[in-house]
Amino acid sequence: MFKKALLALPVAMAVGAAAQAGEWQDPNDVLQNLLQNNPDSAYLHQSEMNIMMMPDNPALWLIDEGEELFYAERGPNNVSLEGCDFGKGPGELEGAYVELPRYFEDTGKVMDFEMRLVHCMKELQGFTSDDPAVARRHGNGSDIMQLTTYIAHQSSGMAWNPPLDHPEEQAMRDAGEVLFFRRGGAMDFNCASCHGDSGKQIRASVLPEMRNGQEWTKAVSWPAHRAGHDNVRSQNHRIRGCVWQMRHAGIKADTPVNTALISFWNDAARGEPAVLPDLKR
Amino acid sequence: MLSNKTVGASLAIVASTALIAGCDGWMGERGGEVDITAMTAEEYAEYLVLETDSYSFEQEAQEGGSARDRMVQDGIQAACSLEGEPDADTAGEVIAMARESYEEPPGGPRLGNWRRGAELARSGYGYRIGHRNDDHGTREPGGNCYACHQMDPAEELYGTLGPSLAGYGATRGTDSSVVNYVHQVVSNPHQYFPCTKMPRFGHNNFLTEEQIAHVMAYLLDPESPVNQ
Repeated sequence: MFKKALLALPVAMAVGAAAQAGEWQDPNDVLQNLLQNNPDSAYLHQSEMNIMMMPDNPALWLIDEGEELFYAERGPNNVSLEGCDFGKGPGELEGAYVELPRYFEDTGKVMDFEMRLVHCMKELQGFTSDDPAVARRHGNGSDIMQLTTYIAHQSSGMAWNPPLDHPEEQAMRDAGEVLFFRRGGAMDFNCASCHGDSGKQIRASVLPEMRNGQEWTKAVSWPAHRAGHDNVRSQNHRIRGCVWQMRHAGIKADTPVNTALISFWNDAARGEPAVLPDLKR
Repeated sequence: MLSNKTVGASLAIVASTALIAGCDGWMGERGGEVDITAMTAEEYAEYLVLETDSYSFEQEAQEGGSARDRMVQDGIQAACSLEGEPDADTAGEVIAMARESYEEPPGGPRLGNWRRGAELARSGYGYRIGHRNDDHGTREPGGNCYACHQMDPAEELYGTLGPSLAGYGATRGTDSSVVNYVHQVVSNPHQYFPCTKMPRFGHNNFLTEEQIAHVMAYLLDPESPVNQ
């Protein structure tokens, strides 16, 4: 099924194997390049099984379903999501995912990907917060994760490049950096407690280092099939899991603390190619 | 204490800015009511954490109080919110704050039962809140030492964020000076390692004094597998 989605992309994209910013690449090719360029990264090389499974990444199965959802006329307003502007113009998905979060004139604020998707599902299609289409944020069966995987896949291999031209984009990114180092909770942790050094392990898990761009691009490359959960997960789900383990307070969906953290995450991976979708332990 | 004052001052600025905005949603929603770019990154981050309804602050925390209390920083958390190592001045302030807030257990530090300590060292349960809450009524919280440290050399699953503690007690013995020192480190490690990643297990009431005694026995007791 996912082969259909791959073939549907322009041929020039699919054959582009060179690691060039702006060119679509198969996520497995992106990963192979990262592995080759970083033979000593314990984080990137930690799971032989996942590396072997990458061409058959179960996340690829969500792409077709997401594509159908994107173009289907749905919701109380019976319209597709083709009118949704992720920053590159209505319905323009190529390269949109790696250039988020960004400032949107129509809402007057900086929005991350999921916040923007939900905004479109509500404003264009007429869904409400209680509709399962919008309320269910996690799991392979959720519309949100299917749409996320389809849309993100259109940016695979492209370099993370969240815009910082608008002062609010810069302010959001800078606040995200402060939040990354802000210690709190019952264990006094910040994000850097685990992501400040390369090659460190928490129990058996090798952790990515935030200042190491080629480790960090894989770290922030969600959606990814998370083998241990047997589900495709989002950046927001990763944040949720981290703050839960850190014994901070829980972060709500569609809130600016998420946006600030993602602004900083994606900026910290700037210039490095995104693996979309990825496969993680 | 300088860092405390600084943080207090930024909070005051943030609070007054919020008043100007009329506390009407978070400022980005209406656009332009408050000039975000006039805030420092620290002020904006503090505003995002405390004033934008981003967190489930109303949840109860297992230690008492609310989830909000978890995200309001104390002096050491604020001073150590930095990248890399603290400078000498910050390190000195943090050590002073840690010494000042350290509490010795009634009757002085002691060693408990290393078998109980082994269970606590392996357990990562406890104090998690958000989408799912750890229920301390059904399961005791643990210290999760193995997440970061090697301890029993026979245990293969251990983290490396902290130093290896394999054989820790074998070379140090169990003199009162050693026992006192280990308690200070487990309870409030910033006294010796300013801005360490390690939690303040005693100061934060993450472990009870009885639990700390068990973990210390696991580390120091000559019979413990850590020292074999």
